[in-house]
Amino acid sequence: MKAEPEKWLDPRAKLLWRLVGALQAAPVLIGGAFGSYALFGWADATPYLAVLPLVAALALAVLFVFVLPPLVWRRWRYEIRPLEVDVQRGLLRVTRTLVPMTRVQHVDTRRGPLQRHLGLSTVVFYTAAGPNEIPQLAQDTASEVRDRIAELTRGADEL
Amino acid sequence: MNSSQHVFERRLHPVGMLLAALSTVRDFSGAAALAGVVALIDGEFGMRTLLLVLVGLALLGALSMVWGFLSWRATTYRVSGGAFHFKRGVLQKSERSLPLDHVQSVNTVQGIVQRLFGVLEVRIEAAGGGGEPEISLPALSRPEVEALREELQSARLTYEGADETSVESSPTMIRRLSVRDLFLAGLTSGQIGVAAAVVFGAWRTLDDLLRGDLAGRISEALLPRTFFAALLLAFAVALFAWVLAILGTVLAHADFTLSRSVDGKYLYVKRGLLNRYETTIPVARIQAIKVVEGALRQPLGYAALQVESAGFADERGVSTALFPLLPRKEVEDVLRGAAPRFAAPLEHLKPLPARARRRYCVRAALSALPISVLLSVLLFPWGLLALLFALPAALYGSLLYRAAGHGLDGDRLVLRFRRLARTTIVAPRGRLQSRGFSVSPFQRRQRLATLKVEVASGSGGAAFRLADVEAASATDMVERLGPEIVA
Repeated sequence: MKAEPEKWLDPRAKLLWRLVGALQAAPVLIGGAFGSYALFGWADATPYLAVLPLVAALALAVLFVFVLPPLVWRRWRYEIRPLEVDVQRGLLRVTRTLVPMTRVQHVDTRRGPLQRHLGLSTVVFYTAAGPNEIPQLAQDTASEVRDRIAELTRGADEL
Repeated sequence: MNSSQHVFERRLHPVGMLLAALSTVRDFSGAAALAGVVALIDGEFGMRTLLLVLVGLALLGALSMVWGFLSWRATTYRVSGGAFHFKRGVLQKSERSLPLDHVQSVNTVQGIVQRLFGVLEVRIEAAGGGGEPEISLPALSRPEVEALREELQSARLTYEGADETSVESSPTMIRRLSVRDLFLAGLTSGQIGVAAAVVFGAWRTLDDLLRGDLAGRISEALLPRTFFAALLLAFAVALFAWVLAILGTVLAHADFTLSRSVDGKYLYVKRGLLNRYETTIPVARIQAIKVVEGALRQPLGYAALQVESAGFADERGVSTALFPLLPRKEVEDVLRGAAPRFAAPLEHLKPLPARARRRYCVRAALSALPISVLLSVLLFPWGLLALLFALPAALYGSLLYRAAGHGLDGDRLVLRFRRLARTTIVAPRGRLQSRGFSVSPFQRRQRLATLKVEVASGSGGAAFRLADVEAASATDMVERLGPEIVA
């Protein structure tokens, strides 16, 4: 078995995940700021203590926006082989999944509003046990991957 | 294509009227009973109340009979044009058509009333993702059931292009549950917990209902000997729960028989003491076999067989009992008779590497940590003792490690793990929807991996994981379970 599948996601994936990370971090930041304000203004905590919630929220935001996206991107690989789809993902715990073409029931591509803006697309292929995704491919690549899986699935069924 | 000879609409057996009436009575009697109980407790149970109740009952009975007749008259079914048509409803009419190739299985259930009159309830299970609920025909005579079954099946066989000759002959029995095994199954069912919960629940309800009077008086009477009383009460509850558990098993599994159609395409499960259930399992739809050895059964060398089967639209079709209790040694034989694809040898599985044991123990101990910490904080000095929970937890982890194993018999994957009960999964390569493994940073250092396979089950999937397999054997298994290179 190959050590890793060979194809990478589109590099714009990192930008997308940063944006998503920023959106997720926003409420945390607001919460942190409010926490610091409350500690400082109402509870008369020392400045060192009062600043803690804001610092923690900031650290989390930095993690979401700057640190994690490139790490996740570097792990994410996929490969469409004639007989199966090979996918690898994960940050700390790395997961490898292989799905035989004969098990694929149908394939979709789908795009959220952010993805549409960046020209990205997610390929979703379904087995009887549920959906599997290859996210954040360039739009053309995604269409190609979708059509290729569909074609290989048909071929596999005729065997 | 032969057009069906029964294009006319058929009605249920007249007992259907009675059943509809009874279910109406049942629907309303809850409210009536509550009113009665309230009247009783309030102590205003005079002659007039009695009369009122009787008149009410008579009225309810009469209306129910009328309703039963109307709904019986409104319910018809027919098989024509490659579909099963079902009409019902007195005020709100409904008509359903189920294409015959969506018919997953035709099962029968016989409740007490149905048994009394020798009729059966037929449940037609629909396959496929539409989430269609099953169709239920509450009363058909046995010949009618056979006729319907044949029509549904022969139409389906024509559709699938198979030969029809084999349908007629009677199925061969594979195994029948003996009375001794039935009671053993009840004794070891491990449903005591469930039953105990039921008993406590009933006690609480009773308590609420009687406004604490009775419970209060009982506990007052027992108070001087509180400890003994509590012990006695706990013992009584446990005993009662156990008896309930046995009774439940006996009711559900009495005279359990597993048989197979002559062509080997269908398995039939019949069971039940008061309600007789007959379930059809298409062998081609079985995705995986589960051999479950409960904590009380494993030491005695007994196991239960379950199937994961695909395509049932309803949620409870996920895991069906294939046989409730049999000696572990005979599992392979029974499987060879019922579903030969799944008859893998269950002994001599490959154990996990020795270095995995520590991970199992640590993981189990860590899972006990949150509650230990919580208790430590809440009951400060003495609560620290709760940290000792880590010890039995680690011991449990060690048991999980001892049970775990895997094997590859030809193209069949065998996985064994423990979730209280020792569970062994058999799934052939052709049934795996996906397979893979994951590696955490800790596992990477020790060259271990968690194996994961998915099979279809119900309208979704079931995933089976085995933690801390030798990384090399995980890759090897994933590779060997892959699609074959076409020659």
